[in-house]
Amino acid sequence: MGTPSWLYYLFAVLMLAVAAYGAVLLAVSVPMRQVSGRDVDVAHIFMGTSMAGMFVADWAFGANGFWELVFSILLVWFVVRSLQSIQRFGLHVPHEAIHAAMSFAMLLMYWYPMGASAGSSMSMSASSSAAKLDPGLGLLLAVAFFASAIFTLANPVKGVSHHGSHIRQLVMSGAPGAGPADATTGSGTRSVGAVEAAVTAPWLEDASHVVMCIGMGFMLILML
Amino acid sequence: MVTTVGVGRRDVVVSELDVAADDAAVAPRSCQRTFQLVLATVWLLDAVLQIQPFMFTKGSNGFSGMLNGLASGNPVVVHGPVTWNASLVYHQPILTNTVFAGIQFLIAFGIVWNRTTKAALGASIVWALGVWWFGEAAGGVFLGGATPFGGGPGGVLFYAILAVLLWPGGTSDRPFVAARTVGITAAKAIWVVVWGVLAVLALVGSGRSPQALQSLVTGLNTGQPGWLAHIDRVSASFLLHHGTTAAVLLAVVCVVAAAGVFLPPRATQVTLVLAIAVFAVIWVAVQNVGGILAGGATDPNSGLLVVILALTYWPLTDARSGTGVRMRPGQLVAQGG
Repeated sequence: MGTPSWLYYLFAVLMLAVAAYGAVLLAVSVPMRQVSGRDVDVAHIFMGTSMAGMFVADWAFGANGFWELVFSILLVWFVVRSLQSIQRFGLHVPHEAIHAAMSFAMLLMYWYPMGASAGSSMSMSASSSAAKLDPGLGLLLAVAFFASAIFTLANPVKGVSHHGSHIRQLVMSGAPGAGPADATTGSGTRSVGAVEAAVTAPWLEDASHVVMCIGMGFMLILML
Repeated sequence: MVTTVGVGRRDVVVSELDVAADDAAVAPRSCQRTFQLVLATVWLLDAVLQIQPFMFTKGSNGFSGMLNGLASGNPVVVHGPVTWNASLVYHQPILTNTVFAGIQFLIAFGIVWNRTTKAALGASIVWALGVWWFGEAAGGVFLGGATPFGGGPGGVLFYAILAVLLWPGGTSDRPFVAARTVGITAAKAIWVVVWGVLAVLALVGSGRSPQALQSLVTGLNTGQPGWLAHIDRVSASFLLHHGTTAAVLLAVVCVVAAAGVFLPPRATQVTLVLAIAVFAVIWVAVQNVGGILAGGATDPNSGLLVVILALTYWPLTDARSGTGVRMRPGQLVAQGG
């Protein structure tokens, strides 16, 4: 009985769906002149397409060096954003931290390709003599992603996984990238199409984050 | 058309937060809810472990082989159900394992939604008891080898105990989370029974045999990362030379922990720290994090669950206890940036 390749295809499709959704959110945010959450959208596009290629070898593209560069940039970006958030709002766990951890996990997946015991359809398989990710670190990250998925779903405020829980303060203060300053006065009132509103529903943003967390956690478990 | 303030895509978020601010009813998540979500996280980890490739394979290297290995030596009442289960898995590995994983995913996500929390926790109890009997051969209790060092009386039983103690209800997390729904007397009774059983299991059967305790560690040593293999060598050597003493000390710790909940809060905290520290060490140094790091486990074993259980008995002050106010959609929760 072979390994269940259908499972890898399922996860690959889910990862591509998250990437495609990230692209849609990014496209929608441009005419809306919104910057908040764009970094997460960009990260999801790269992570989704990259991980789809890890689950199904035929879907992989791009040199490892390219992906390592992309995720290094994302890691630095999210770490800086995390520190800025802490500096601004005091000691807390900013939502950017989990995205930084996810970028770091992606780097680890390229630095330590999976062992020979992995599924035959997976592109990350390498010889058993290759350097192996420390399982303790892999498990720690996987559990962090699972916890993020669960606590994101349980959060009564939706969309926090993309925008953080301080988005309101940022908007009201007219902070660059959070939204127009006139939002505080309401003078910038405009209309959003129903389809646009449905596509950008905060619960959908959270759902994409949850799927990404589970997919990435599964990949890390496979690497143990 | 949906009219919103001019913050575009983020309007939906901001408008919800505005409602929360206007209500001025910011309610922190209760400790009980937080522990429910922690339990859901462990279930999600279990579900993902269940879909590892080897779980779908036939034969001795697969899930059915793992089950058959647990059945041998048990009385018919345990041996029969486990071998039946193993046979089922052997003939339909993909179907059965997909169902098993699916149930665990459903329990994890079911706990998350308020409307399904009770159903999911109920399923958690039923599933945990079923797995304990049909999948873990009653944790080896009938073989006399269910020492808490190795996870006895079965890690999965703690999922059921936690589900009972974290059943939604009550209005305050004081004096400790586990008592919120079932009440102080029942919670303390459950605590005493749990730690009493652990104390007994530490001493009976092979629980105090140095060789048996050492083999618990050496049996898991294969495939572990270097740092854990090093810890294993130390713990295996220690158990071989001081196994009986370690078993007696563990039983004493269990008795102290059992009595701890009847002491003043400060003393209770001391006994809980002792119990948590001991089981954290056991979880890493003897149970090897449930064998997950070697890539062949289906759950994190009992050490982690015992630690979570102990934390639900941590005495809470007013400032740290939940208010009992149910959170509504739109309420601001100060978590994450």
